[in-house]
Amino acid sequence: MGIGDGMSEDADLVRRVLAGDAAAYGGLVAHYRDRLARYAMRMLGDRGDAEEAVQDAFLRAYRSLPRCDDPHRFGPWLFGILVNRCRTAYARRARRERVVVHDEPASLAAAVSPAAERLEWEAEIAWALERLDPLYREAFLLRHVEDLTYDEMAALTGAGVSALKMRVMRACDRLRALLEETDRV
Amino acid sequence: MFEHDDDISNDVTARIAASLKSPVRLDPAFDARVMARVAALPAHRPAGPLDRTWSWLRRPRSFAVSPLAGLAAAAGVAAIVFFAARAPAPRTSEAAVALDRTPVEFLLVAPRASSVMLVGDFNDWTRSATPLRTIAAGGLWSVTVPLAPGRYRYAFVVDGKRWEPDPSAPPAPDDEFGSPASVVTVGGGL
Repeated sequence: MGIGDGMSEDADLVRRVLAGDAAAYGGLVAHYRDRLARYAMRMLGDRGDAEEAVQDAFLRAYRSLPRCDDPHRFGPWLFGILVNRCRTAYARRARRERVVVHDEPASLAAAVSPAAERLEWEAEIAWALERLDPLYREAFLLRHVEDLTYDEMAALTGAGVSALKMRVMRACDRLRALLEETDRV
Repeated sequence: MFEHDDDISNDVTARIAASLKSPVRLDPAFDARVMARVAALPAHRPAGPLDRTWSWLRRPRSFAVSPLAGLAAAAGVAAIVFFAARAPAPRTSEAAVALDRTPVEFLLVAPRASSVMLVGDFNDWTRSATPLRTIAAGGLWSVTVPLAPGRYRYAFVVDGKRWEPDPSAPPAPDDEFGSPASVVTVGGGL
């Protein structure tokens, strides 16, 4: 399973929270914060939106904790809540304003040092990722960044395995094509 | 963890994934903020007797059965299977399933293509599974796939990277994939 290392510790913390020890939830927040932050940041492309989505996911998970049927599966359950929060956040933002998309990758100007090269590459990936259809981006991140299996992805997203494979494949093609525009691949 | 059945084997995809895996750090005060909000919410209460009973009823469990009771249960199951087997029932065999499949030919005119692949619900969108071959001058590509009755979404991948819908077929709804694919419906005499 890609999400949920330390499942027995999670289960213990979940039971303590459900028994009234709210402070025990801090252990779950500390355990999953970075993982959730990475997904939300890659998905939403904005630090403020990502932080809000992660916080919202943690609070919703706390309120709904009695509905987490298997405390050992807290991680995947929490991640599913975050995936939905990111979808909602993205839809809300799309309604509120057009997503800011740079016309060109931020750093086509000459960059020579290895650190600058790395930053340039990261900026170009962020630029390309932002241009992906959100469903493709979601599938790509879950598969290749969060290392989930297609069955796990299907459980999280509600989409079929076949559709998810197709989204991932197209996401890869689109990312490659976008990065080719920048002459980096 | 990877299943190695898709594009992670591609060097570019692997480089993109590696870059995106770099950690993202939130504001150091993030945990404190979340926990302050949690503290403002009602704490969960320990489960009462009714909750525990409900939880006990819902919990999956296994039963230990004595050898004699096990034999009796096995005899009962065998009897049911025996009588069910004597009753006439429709049979499905692999041959019947195969007979149920209809050969469907997929065609694409692509004069400048050097390769064309068929991807769809029927092959899990696996790019290498169903190559088309040229059957006539002028770049007519073809492949025939036996399909069971149903509705399938599909597309062509030209030269390994360009996705094209079938110009002679209805488009698949965009809500599923967001970019061009086509639909073929295979009838089953229903």
